[in-house]
Amino acid sequence: MSGRVVVRILLLVAVTLLAQTTVVLDVRVGGASPEIMYLMPIAAGIVGGPVDGAAVGFLAGIAVDLLSPTPLGMTALVGTLVGFGVGAVSGGAVREVRGLPTLVALGASVVAVMLYAVLGAVLGESQFLHVDLAAVVAVVAVANAVLAGPAVRLMRWAFEPSAGEPVGSRRR
Amino acid sequence: MARTVRQKRSRRTLATFLVLVLLSVTIITLDETGRAASLTSGLKSLASDVYSPLRHGVNGVLDPIGRFFAGAVNYSSLEAENQKLQDQILRLEHRQASDAAAQRQYAALQRLLATDRLPSVASLPTVTAEVTAQNISNFAATVNIDKGRDQGVTAGDPVVGPGGLVGEVATVTPNGATVRLLTDGKSQIGVSFGHQQAATLDGAGAGRLLQIQYVPSTAHVFVGELIVTSGLQGGALPPGIPVAKVTSVRSVVGAADKQVTARPLADLNDLTYLEVIQWSGSS
Repeated sequence: MSGRVVVRILLLVAVTLLAQTTVVLDVRVGGASPEIMYLMPIAAGIVGGPVDGAAVGFLAGIAVDLLSPTPLGMTALVGTLVGFGVGAVSGGAVREVRGLPTLVALGASVVAVMLYAVLGAVLGESQFLHVDLAAVVAVVAVANAVLAGPAVRLMRWAFEPSAGEPVGSRRR
Repeated sequence: MARTVRQKRSRRTLATFLVLVLLSVTIITLDETGRAASLTSGLKSLASDVYSPLRHGVNGVLDPIGRFFAGAVNYSSLEAENQKLQDQILRLEHRQASDAAAQRQYAALQRLLATDRLPSVASLPTVTAEVTAQNISNFAATVNIDKGRDQGVTAGDPVVGPGGLVGEVATVTPNGATVRLLTDGKSQIGVSFGHQQAATLDGAGAGRLLQIQYVPSTAHVFVGELIVTSGLQGGALPPGIPVAKVTSVRSVVGAADKQVTARPLADLNDLTYLEVIQWSGSS
């Protein structure tokens, strides 16, 4: 990643985090609110591939962890796994087929929330299995599926090669 | 040649992924085992210190913009002749709305004042705080308040609201704090009922009933009984603060303890103003 890409990614993560903790937090359906931070690794995995997906997932996750009362590193681990998984599984097809990012975001969000809940329970955070998991999964998955298109476009902007960088060197 | 390059790239991809996973696992381990608890909590506090003003700023910007657009939409289509009358109607509506808001605020503060009259709380110094955000995470029952370290709030301080105990201060920043509600799965409070019968009250997740643990099968406890803080657990909380009312009691044959559930006295879904009891510093 070039310095310019890193700066853009940091900017995207910061803005998404601000949106998550201000506007998105007020949106509550069935007691659950969307978690748009998972869109970061999903979109990065689609646009940049497994390594970029994992790196952005780690970064976005650690930012969330620093502001949450839950254990530090948990969202970072989930973000890393989800970003890598999306990048590895989706291949180049997601970028070519219209509407596929929406489906990938839907599926990856379900996996991310379930993984987070199970990981929390394994670490002794028993309350993670006491929440209405079905509602959280549904709200997060639907919200991220709806926002997948704009998120992928923003991530493409972030990964756009600068003037001197060779085009097509992104996906690894 | 191409195959070697592909293999190298694949190995590098896997290595990067493994490094990130290991890094995450290491951070979790450090945080969970408590070996670097001061470091991780310090990092969280620092992040919150940096981020809180930014979030308040964004909230402050978004609110007026919303109001501006609402106002623009309302006024743009009005005839000059009707504008004066429309303005008057809007002013009256605003006044009516602000009166209603003021009444709601007054009622909330009145309910909070009733809590202040509790004998166990009345003699202790308190800080009145306003709730700024509810449940930051889908997996934790917490609220954020607008008072923090600079106003004398300390981690571990009990927080009361209309009706009784609401929770404890979990983390503090200079001008804000996160309160862990009674219903949070991590919440564990020493309580007593009846004739000084001690027990532990556990949170079971947002929106769920509280679980009262370690109630012997021989203990007399009835539905509707008042649960108050015991003041035990090393004096973590002052004694006598009303917490909850028993909603069900179940005896299981052969079990040493009764299964008891309770509902918080305070409405945890409708918190506006809270009182932080400055207990941790004084005890």
